[in-house]
Amino acid sequence: MEVQLKQIDKRYGQKVIFHNFSNTFASGHITGLVGDNGVGKSTLLRMIAGLDLAYDGHIYYDGQLLHKSLYQQMTMVFQTPYLLKRSVYDNIAYPLQLRHRPAAEIKIKTEQMLERLGITHLSRQYAHRLSGGESQKVALARALIFEPDLVLLDEPMSGIDAASVLFMEDMIRDYVRQHHKTVIMITHNARQVEELCDAVIHLHTAE
Amino acid sequence: MDYIIAGFWKAVELIFSGDGELWGIVGLSLRVSGSAIIIASLLIIPVFTFIGLHSFRGERVLSRVLNALMSMPSVVVGLLVSVCLSRRGPFAELQLLYTPTAMIIAQVVLVSPLIACLTYELVKHRGRDIQKLGQTLGASKLQSVWMVIGELKSELFIYTVNGFSRAISEVGAVMMVGGNIKGSTRVITTTISMLNSMGDYAMAFALGMILIVISLIINSVLYTYKEKRADV
Repeated sequence: MEVQLKQIDKRYGQKVIFHNFSNTFASGHITGLVGDNGVGKSTLLRMIAGLDLAYDGHIYYDGQLLHKSLYQQMTMVFQTPYLLKRSVYDNIAYPLQLRHRPAAEIKIKTEQMLERLGITHLSRQYAHRLSGGESQKVALARALIFEPDLVLLDEPMSGIDAASVLFMEDMIRDYVRQHHKTVIMITHNARQVEELCDAVIHLHTAE
Repeated sequence: MDYIIAGFWKAVELIFSGDGELWGIVGLSLRVSGSAIIIASLLIIPVFTFIGLHSFRGERVLSRVLNALMSMPSVVVGLLVSVCLSRRGPFAELQLLYTPTAMIIAQVVLVSPLIACLTYELVKHRGRDIQKLGQTLGASKLQSVWMVIGELKSELFIYTVNGFSRAISEVGAVMMVGGNIKGSTRVITTTISMLNSMGDYAMAFALGMILIVISLIINSVLYTYKEKRADV
């Protein structure tokens, strides 16, 4: 999914976050969003995700403006993951259950995902008992399991162990290459920008 | 002092002898308050979860109104329901006054603001983030409401049990709309009140003890539930 931002104006009270901001996030690419704290990286992701609609300008998704069914085709992983008060299995299966997919498909896909994460033995455990790295992996798995066209990642790899970071990077890379989907991720990690991202957008203060 | 002690022992005897009248009153109390809390929860929780998930002008006013209604005296509820169901009231044709149904209606009206206020404040503060997660996973509006209720079910359960506690221990509203009719609308609190004025302490003590035991059971359930949640 290609995402085009056209002449975006966004402000919080008197503070201008974006003024006449335009950009394009290419389809099938991993684009890194970098910039100092407070320049509006998270705000931009929330606007693209349709969680913040208080702005002027237009965002096009494959040439269409935001509409109800587009919410089914995109997802966002937050810096601090919110895992449902359910088992690890149920957390990962949840987006498929929301879409009323057949039970057999849900079972197969969820078990494959658990195996991929290497946490099959934790599948029945309450998700909020997991470590930080494991929680983020589950949040990412939950976001990818329904194969959304657009994945928005708000620093999901900050503050977790190096092995988990590498694992998640592999997952994201494989997902984009295999399914030709679009990923936009906020990162402060120069190595990640270099090795993982196909394109980088530097955000600066609008004022 | 002797009559108090004698009354106490007579009460113990009544409880363990399986006195039909006493246990009939207890059963009716549990049925009326149980029904009221189930009806109020099923009506109020989904509606106020939905309202709590939306920003609108007048949110503060709604919070204040709900807070004010939460402490509405039970006699006022009794008066309102009684007027509505009386022979000259708008629902006179239903002929519900002085029936257990009228008592259930009064208790629904009594506990609804409590459940509504607590649900609304909880959802406003914690539900909106859960809703946003639902949105990012592709949940519809209705699915988001159920998702929020599911995630906050522990807190909502505690509010419901608190509501039951308020319902079963109130006397004013059920007295006014039920009329404390023997074998028909006589519940624990109205009976205690009546027996106290008659000076018949044995039955009053017995019912008082049962009410305290019910209260202890409710608190014990809540305490165990909270402990269990802390362990999870």
